[in-house]
Amino acid sequence: MKFRAWLALVAGILPASLAAIVVFLALYSWPAMHFNGLGFVVRDTWNLGNLYANPIMRHGTQVQPGATYGILFLIVGTLASTLIALAIALPMGMGAAIFLAEAVPAGLRLWISFFVELLMAIPSVVFGLWGYVVVIPFLGHHLYPLIAHSLGKMIPFFAEPTGSGYGLLTAGIVLSLMIVPIIAATLRDALVSQPVSLREAALGLGATRFEALWKVMLPGTRKTLIGATFLALGRALGETMAVLMVSGNALNYLPHRIYDPVSTMAAFIVSQLDSALQDPTGLAVRSLAEIAFVLAIISILVNALARLLLLVWNNSQRSVMV
Amino acid sequence: MSMKSGPARRRASLVLTATLAICTAFGAQAAMAQQRLLETGSSLLYPLFNLWVPVYAKTHRGVQITTQSTGSGTGIAEAVSGIAQIGASDAYMSDPLVRMHPTMLNIPLAISSQMINYNVPGLNNIHLKLSGPVLAAMYSGRVRFWDDPMIARLNPGVRLPHKQIVLVHRTDGSGDTFIFTQYLSFSTPSWNNTVSYGTTVSWPAVEGGIGAEGNPGMVNACKGTPYSVAYIGISYKQAIEAAHLGEAAIENRSGNFVLPGPRTVQAAVEATASHTPRDERISLIFAPGKWSYPIINYEYAIVNARQPDAQTAAALREFFNWALSPTEGNSERFMKEVGFVALPAPIVALSKAQIARIQ
Repeated sequence: MKFRAWLALVAGILPASLAAIVVFLALYSWPAMHFNGLGFVVRDTWNLGNLYANPIMRHGTQVQPGATYGILFLIVGTLASTLIALAIALPMGMGAAIFLAEAVPAGLRLWISFFVELLMAIPSVVFGLWGYVVVIPFLGHHLYPLIAHSLGKMIPFFAEPTGSGYGLLTAGIVLSLMIVPIIAATLRDALVSQPVSLREAALGLGATRFEALWKVMLPGTRKTLIGATFLALGRALGETMAVLMVSGNALNYLPHRIYDPVSTMAAFIVSQLDSALQDPTGLAVRSLAEIAFVLAIISILVNALARLLLLVWNNSQRSVMV
Repeated sequence: MSMKSGPARRRASLVLTATLAICTAFGAQAAMAQQRLLETGSSLLYPLFNLWVPVYAKTHRGVQITTQSTGSGTGIAEAVSGIAQIGASDAYMSDPLVRMHPTMLNIPLAISSQMINYNVPGLNNIHLKLSGPVLAAMYSGRVRFWDDPMIARLNPGVRLPHKQIVLVHRTDGSGDTFIFTQYLSFSTPSWNNTVSYGTTVSWPAVEGGIGAEGNPGMVNACKGTPYSVAYIGISYKQAIEAAHLGEAAIENRSGNFVLPGPRTVQAAVEATASHTPRDERISLIFAPGKWSYPIINYEYAIVNARQPDAQTAAALREFFNWALSPTEGNSERFMKEVGFVALPAPIVALSKAQIARIQ
């Protein structure tokens, strides 16, 4: 009984800390929410106001003259870079998982799997530095002009100017490399742990190796794949350092081309905290907390969506079986 | 105790002696322990601190100073919170902030200037002429191409390319942003009424604009981005030259186009420094005078006058007095290396009066 109570306590800490964080953010950012209103998420201006002037009263709140807080460009930057990262990482991660589970000789498999998992353990700032020093010059000077010349002819979103290499696509590419291992490692484990009899049955029915994989083995791992994808999505949404170093940190505008600089919510909180601390009214820091609150809400919504997807999918599968 | 036999007592006293010896050794160690000072902030002051500290450490073995380049915003914030003993900043603290933290001192250590740099292939070896209103128009997005009539008018005979201007600005809270936007504000009323100035401003939305971290980040972004323009502190002049970036001649209040150098900066200092108040929070931007360079500023150490203990306060006073001495920290050999100008004697006197308040 005592042991069970201990377990309950330990297990209870996790949900309690999540609730505590969200409640704290909500309480702390309440004055900012009150001042910013709903316009916070649809406006495109982040302006601390004139920090060298004396604070004034507006809507019953003490603010610096000219202060406006709007983060639409951050929400768009966060979602766009995450979507690009997923679009790249999903096929890459699936390909890597299938390769590791099916095509690699057993002796080599262990080693390559080890390296894929090692990639997961690399701190994000290492990715950021590498992106800053190596990836940006390469993409900016070689790959992006190439994309603009081919794809850009048809789709304006890919057209010139390709800019400097700091931007949305670069952030997406660096992010994708960070989340590929999550997808690859998880899916590989799921593929390997599929019953051998399933494959044998498929092959016995005359399926080719590819058909056995595509029609029998992969569908069995769909649940794992969705889970891994949303885990990766969560990491990409909240990634801070690597994005801060390669995204170009756009302020107050939405990207018109895939090469344009963007900012993400997590990176913005880090880069603006020091400036916000110089706001004598404290409203700037509370508005940053409001960004954190919105980010937390988005992350929770995304995860809830994943659960819902699994639930709906499970139900539909059951009804098919019936 | 009296029951104890001879050898046992001897052993006990031996243990006692040993313990005492160890304690004394540790005590001595503690007394000899170095006074640690943390400097953080302005990436413009960072190169100077890195020149100062090794030289200072040679003659002052008891003090260990750690330097960090984090941006003026961090410098002010961490000095206020007490994380750092010395907050380096190119910007002085605002009036409301000083009212909130009345024990914080703004002590000028040297005079710096700021370059306007650009990367326009083919034109980096000449000094393009730019003015406050033209830079304000560029950073507001009204002038989008290098061959805009506004730029062409200032540069007759120069073949300007029809390429989109890439604006680079600082992402972190920065004294460089402060003095640059102050130059735009003082020279261009429309900028003053909309964006105004600060260590962070709400940059007008101009597509393609890049935010960079610190002066090194500005150099890197400008170097890697053809047709970009950036504002960079003078202590990065060597990096600018190594990267073959252009340095613009800037219009001053008298309408002359000047480059930052000892003569033009000195001229601006002579025109403005005499107005410095006792708390030394003053802008030197857009000084009058025929050859005054318009973007110069005091480089500040942001220090709390109330230190937690007397040793720290003494170590700070000693270091600052050394740094301000015209034969030591403010000597030509340090200043020249980073492109700074030494403080004039009356300003040194004001700074020393502030230093004496650190307790």
